Amino acid sequence: MELLTYTFVQYAFLGGISMAILTGILGPFVVQSRQSIASDMFAHVALAGIGGALLVGIGPWWGALPALIVVSTLIWWLLDSGTYSPDALAMFFLSGGLALALAFVHIARDTVFSFENYLFGSILTLTTTDVLAILVSTIVVVAVLWCLWYPLLGATQSPRYLIPFRRTPKLVQLLFFWLLAIVVWVGIKTIGGLLIGALLVIPVLTVRNWATSFKQLVLLSTATSVSSVSLGLMAALYVDMPPSSLIIGMSILLFILQTVVGSLMRKRQM
Amino acid sequence: MNNPVITVNNVTKSVASRRLLDDVSFTIAPQSLVSLIGPNGAGKSTLVKIILGIDAQYEGTVVIRPGERVQYIPQLVIDDQYQLPMSVYEYISIATNRLYGNSSKKIDFEKTLSHVGVAVEKLHQSYISLSGGERQRVAIARALLGDPTILVLDEPLAAVDYASRSGLYELIRHLQKDHKMTVLLVSHDIDSVLPLSDQVLCLNRTLHSNCHPSELSTQDGMYNQTIHHHC
Repeated sequence: MELLTYTFVQYAFLGGISMAILTGILGPFVVQSRQSIASDMFAHVALAGIGGALLVGIGPWWGALPALIVVSTLIWWLLDSGTYSPDALAMFFLSGGLALALAFVHIARDTVFSFENYLFGSILTLTTTDVLAILVSTIVVVAVLWCLWYPLLGATQSPRYLIPFRRTPKLVQLLFFWLLAIVVWVGIKTIGGLLIGALLVIPVLTVRNWATSFKQLVLLSTATSVSSVSLGLMAALYVDMPPSSLIIGMSILLFILQTVVGSLMRKRQM
Repeated sequence: MNNPVITVNNVTKSVASRRLLDDVSFTIAPQSLVSLIGPNGAGKSTLVKIILGIDAQYEGTVVIRPGERVQYIPQLVIDDQYQLPMSVYEYISIATNRLYGNSSKKIDFEKTLSHVGVAVEKLHQSYISLSGGERQRVAIARALLGDPTILVLDEPLAAVDYASRSGLYELIRHLQKDHKMTVLLVSHDIDSVLPLSDQVLCLNRTLHSNCHPSELSTQDGMYNQTIHHHC
């Protein structure tokens, strides 16, 4: 418990729990709209932004945010035009982002920089500015979701559950992409770009059979996500393992646990 | 016909040299219940998309009388194993938003559900746990919140069990009269929709008949020839 008095540990918990709230709340929208792979695509785009930031000499993480907002808008526009299929677009930006990132880092000739921190996160090295940025992002995303709950719920539903034809506001779908971009931005600093998708999806799959409404689903997936991050971080303080892998490990463990419990309960009811 | 709510004039639609609709023309009178019947691939859904303005790639003209408010209930697909839980309350609440073209007025959920014959206890149940008939009734309730003057239903009984069918048709007929709506009903279920309809459109790429159902059944051989052959 003495470890909890260290500032870097407190920052890790603050940043981690904020991220867990973000992924827990937005995850059901992501899974419902079949955009699970989009978080991975955005993470690779963020790497290009990080590379670009190195080139112009600003903080790498800060370079990722404008890149994410610009490219998420572009992806939304391309999807809306209906010219390209979503999976083809995902692969285009996923590979394109990574290639651009490699090129930028090579041109910048920064020998100290390592992509690893952004691919797998660096939650134990968060600074005061990082934590503040994460907290502000969390407040913004939660406030937008609070104010536009039903429009976002409508815009991310399967078309057959929507208010049909001409009623789906395109701008709400763009807003959803921006929210996802912000969550990925927070994710690359904390749990890592390659692992943020797991935290968006696994808690939703864990609790989907226990909820009867979308609101319940969001609350339960947020609780699961916060539990995974808290348990994973606690474990990382005592076990010499990367915090990100422990967090995702906890998330998978909770999924397995609910699957076993759920199947035992169903057998008992039969 | 005086001042029709929907006027379809010489509508032709082709995709990759295949003709889906061929010179289709008809009008729909205000406050009538019109059945659009035809076999699979007849072009019913294509025609509905053109009328709703979803599909703009066609020849001819479609005019909806100015000031009409259209609501559309698409075909129900009952087996969607990937759908996440959403309560009936949430399903209806999505509609009550200015962003979706509806007013954000406060809803009396009890009245909304009882109006379509759904028990108010279902309000906080998962929408996907409801039967096909109940889902369609809730979908109709949601559509009515938009205060439509034209209601388009695509195969409303496609995933509804046999016992619930007549009740649902009666509800549609009752609501149509109660709300003074024009209803366009797309259906395969020819024998059930004919007695309810004021006008029948039998489509199989071209319009094979456009008349009152009694004219179909009284014309010798016409019913069998037109309905069971073409539709």
